[in-house]
Amino acid sequence: MKRAFQVALGVLLLALALYPTIATGYGIRFMLQLFMWIALAQSWNLISGLTGYVSFGHVAFFGTGAYATGILVANHGWHWMPASLMGGVAGAILALIIGYPCLRLKGPYFAISMLGLNEVMRVLVSYFEGLTGGGSGLSLPALHASVQIYYATGLAAVAVTATAFVIITSRFGLRLMTIREDEVAAEAMGIDTARYKLYAFLLSAFVPGVVGGLQARDQGYIEPIAVFPLLTTITMIVMALFGGKGTVWGPALGAVTLFVFQELVWARFLYLHQVLFGAIIIVVVLLMPRGILGILQQRYQLPRTI
Amino acid sequence: MRTAFRSVTGLVTALVVLAGSWTPAAAQAPIKIGASLSLTGTYAALGQNQQRGYQLCAKHTNEKGGVLGRKIEFVLYDDQSQPATGVRLYEKLITQDKVDLVMGPYSSAITEAVANVTEKYKMPVVAPMASTTSIFKKGRKFIFMVQSAAEVYLEGLVEMAAKRGLKTVAIINEDTLFPKATVQGTIELAKKNGLQVVFVEAYPKGNPDFSAILTKIRAVNPDVLGAATYFDDAVAITRQMRELNVNPKMYGVTVGGDLPTFYQLLGKNAEFVYGATQWEVELPYPGAKEFQLAYSMEFPGRDISYHSAGGYGGCQALVEAIKRAGSLDGEKIREAILKMDINTVYGGFRVDPDGFQISHKMVMFQWQEGKKVIVWPDQLAAGKARFPTPPWVQR
Amino acid sequence: MGVTITPEMVGQVVVSGLLAGALYSMVALGLALIFGVMRVINVAHGTILMLGAYTTFWWFQLLGINPYLSLLVSMPLMFLLGVFLQRSMVHRVVDAPELSSLLLTFGISIALVNVTQYAFSSDVRSVEFLTGSFLIGPLALSKSRLISFAVAIALTLLAFWFLQKTKLGKAIRATSQSREVAMVCGIDVQRIHLYAFGMASALAAAGGTLVAVIIAIQPEMGQIYTLKSFLVIVLGGAGNYPGALLGGMLLGLVEQLASLFLTTQVSEAVAYVLLVLVLLLRPTGLLGGRST
Repeated sequence: MKRAFQVALGVLLLALALYPTIATGYGIRFMLQLFMWIALAQSWNLISGLTGYVSFGHVAFFGTGAYATGILVANHGWHWMPASLMGGVAGAILALIIGYPCLRLKGPYFAISMLGLNEVMRVLVSYFEGLTGGGSGLSLPALHASVQIYYATGLAAVAVTATAFVIITSRFGLRLMTIREDEVAAEAMGIDTARYKLYAFLLSAFVPGVVGGLQARDQGYIEPIAVFPLLTTITMIVMALFGGKGTVWGPALGAVTLFVFQELVWARFLYLHQVLFGAIIIVVVLLMPRGILGILQQRYQLPRTI
Repeated sequence: MRTAFRSVTGLVTALVVLAGSWTPAAAQAPIKIGASLSLTGTYAALGQNQQRGYQLCAKHTNEKGGVLGRKIEFVLYDDQSQPATGVRLYEKLITQDKVDLVMGPYSSAITEAVANVTEKYKMPVVAPMASTTSIFKKGRKFIFMVQSAAEVYLEGLVEMAAKRGLKTVAIINEDTLFPKATVQGTIELAKKNGLQVVFVEAYPKGNPDFSAILTKIRAVNPDVLGAATYFDDAVAITRQMRELNVNPKMYGVTVGGDLPTFYQLLGKNAEFVYGATQWEVELPYPGAKEFQLAYSMEFPGRDISYHSAGGYGGCQALVEAIKRAGSLDGEKIREAILKMDINTVYGGFRVDPDGFQISHKMVMFQWQEGKKVIVWPDQLAAGKARFPTPPWVQR
Repeated sequence: MGVTITPEMVGQVVVSGLLAGALYSMVALGLALIFGVMRVINVAHGTILMLGAYTTFWWFQLLGINPYLSLLVSMPLMFLLGVFLQRSMVHRVVDAPELSSLLLTFGISIALVNVTQYAFSSDVRSVEFLTGSFLIGPLALSKSRLISFAVAIALTLLAFWFLQKTKLGKAIRATSQSREVAMVCGIDVQRIHLYAFGMASALAAAGGTLVAVIIAIQPEMGQIYTLKSFLVIVLGGAGNYPGALLGGMLLGLVEQLASLFLTTQVSEAVAYVLLVLVLLLRPTGLLGGRST
């Protein structure tokens, strides 16, 4: 069973690697965005799925990475690859600055503080216009690199999924999940919860930063409202939830399902697609809070490493 | 039984193949023109106006026999007022739906994002609703401007002020691409016309409360106040100016002041307000009146604004270009557009080698007795400006 | 190109800030009720405010009478909507982790906003009823904001009276302090939840009615009020009802003063930075509310 799974995975990755040779420009952009969502949902899972700390402003790291990369490419002539990595570093630094104090907050307060953080970043970016172009947005020099960005984003998605797998099967992951189940008991057991939470938080902020940078390069133009929207945070959360938070493959599954659904639906129902999305959110929260894989895990006693 | 099945299948297949090969001659298939418009989201009201412009143009063009012997058909998607969605949609239109040509979306921001895609595929795009100069000065070859630039939106206000000997001007703006471009341009124009800029401040998009900013303006007491706005803020600022008793001698807004709803919402408080507009039906442009009539019959009760006319005019320009190029080839259409010097219902259309619009004129009107009276430039003016704007307490 | 700030200017914005603050207080009180009683973070709060605003718009559009009278319609109508939402969906996330309530209410919000957009179109509406202001010396008091202030204060005080003096109100406060003890005392906690959500929605609706006369009405108008309500309850302390009153006024003042001394853009940031600072330094709010 495990072997078959691995083979199937290998075939899938190979197919994805070869896809650009036959795809249209739109197809590449579509898959690229799909990879982005997988990466985002998986990253969110690393902090919120594992530790239970709901990062309700996670897109802040995406936006920060987008701007960091954008500034390096547009104003300093960097190549987008190292610039995107710096985007990830920027995200991680932000997580460090914010995580250190905010992870001390409990439950709803952490969520609200993350929401506040997102807004603060958006406004800061608008304010320092000399650096970021402010409300006018930031334009990157024209470059048609969709195929390379496809691979880079795909790599990011694979990397964060692999990270999730490694963490969940490790003692580190176990400790994180202990924090989720009962933080007080975890402390009592001698787990340095503050440090572990911070590590998870840093890890969860890096990839969104990278992916934000890659998106900035691909779009060629970013503005504050476009890269710090609440809807993006919500979407990545719903994707992770749908597939099953706290699992390895859940967020990826959720991302694929929901993104494809959006693609098939929004083309048809011009005005109603948002209503449908709202309905989906409601259904997921009320009827399947454990997500697909969560339900399967319980029913069929599947291993933790799913 | 099996053989019967097989022969039936064979027959059906043959019929299907036959039917498939009997397609009408390619010349009869409509020319597909793709675009994404902001049909939902923050720009929905304006994107929908533009959509109606496109649709009406298609209808009229087809009634006249189409172009190159074919009808035109718009393939429209909703970009939800988001640049990223617009980018994806134009990729889809060009690479998947394989449209023959495209037209531009609503707003400078989305046009800027989308221009990268159209340029990549060397697809000429007439962009009616983008007035930020920088979009057209980046060395792009396949994008063409229809409107007058953002930078000159308040040119009329500044010139009229200078002519009447006013000295100081304050400018406020929404903090997004287009209004910011307007501010830059207005500052230049003020300097050129000998006015001193005494106050500039931006406010965030969606800001509802202008008390602080207007309090500062009241303290500075400029002769002229220019506001680079969209619609909601234009209404809010005007209203709050009255509440806070801010009385410049001339006060003008950019986008939004020209909509009939502006006057409906503000009533008499809208009197004396100057507005910039790319188009008014009274202007002596060919077919403008007919356009308005047809629009009100086709879309009863719906708003008409320069966005509708711009959509229509831009589409007219494209159709004319196709006619002159005699083909749908991108390069040929591009050449045709670069040589064109025509008038549409929207006004003059002529672009410089960068695709930047040089013929279309911005006009300035003033609300007088519930009507928009065009007061600038002189050659298009229908009336005189009521100057100075009396203080609120005297009205 | 600076502007020298005079005391009159400060006075003006202080007035503006207090006028706005009262409205924030009232609306935030609703959110505080929901959070205090049910520990639910209601992201749809601003959406209900928006629906209240539309109610007022249609009232004025179709009947042409004083839009403030529409309070008699918007408040009960949204009360019922609130009860309905609680009964059908929100009750299921009352004991769940905050993620569930955040997402559920967000889903409700997005569905309602888009249904509104579909039904009423995105066209911006407004209620033109009262413009102009009273000029008292150098200060201008906008008439519509003054009325909004008065009504908001009145309704907030009414709400406090209700919470302090009536049996139902006391039951709500008891449940808010400790659900277990309330149950032991024989309080029907499920019913209390319904009333709390309904009452909160009524307050949001009142906010909507009042702002309908002041600002532009469109389907997305509510989100900013949700965010501001969050700010207020963080400032005032969650579950601390008088704190909401203080927090609202404080927010109104901070916004206006920051706009005056800095710029309007920055005042947005200041509010959020304040949020994060208060959360970090005094998570129970400035007046001390309940910690988790």
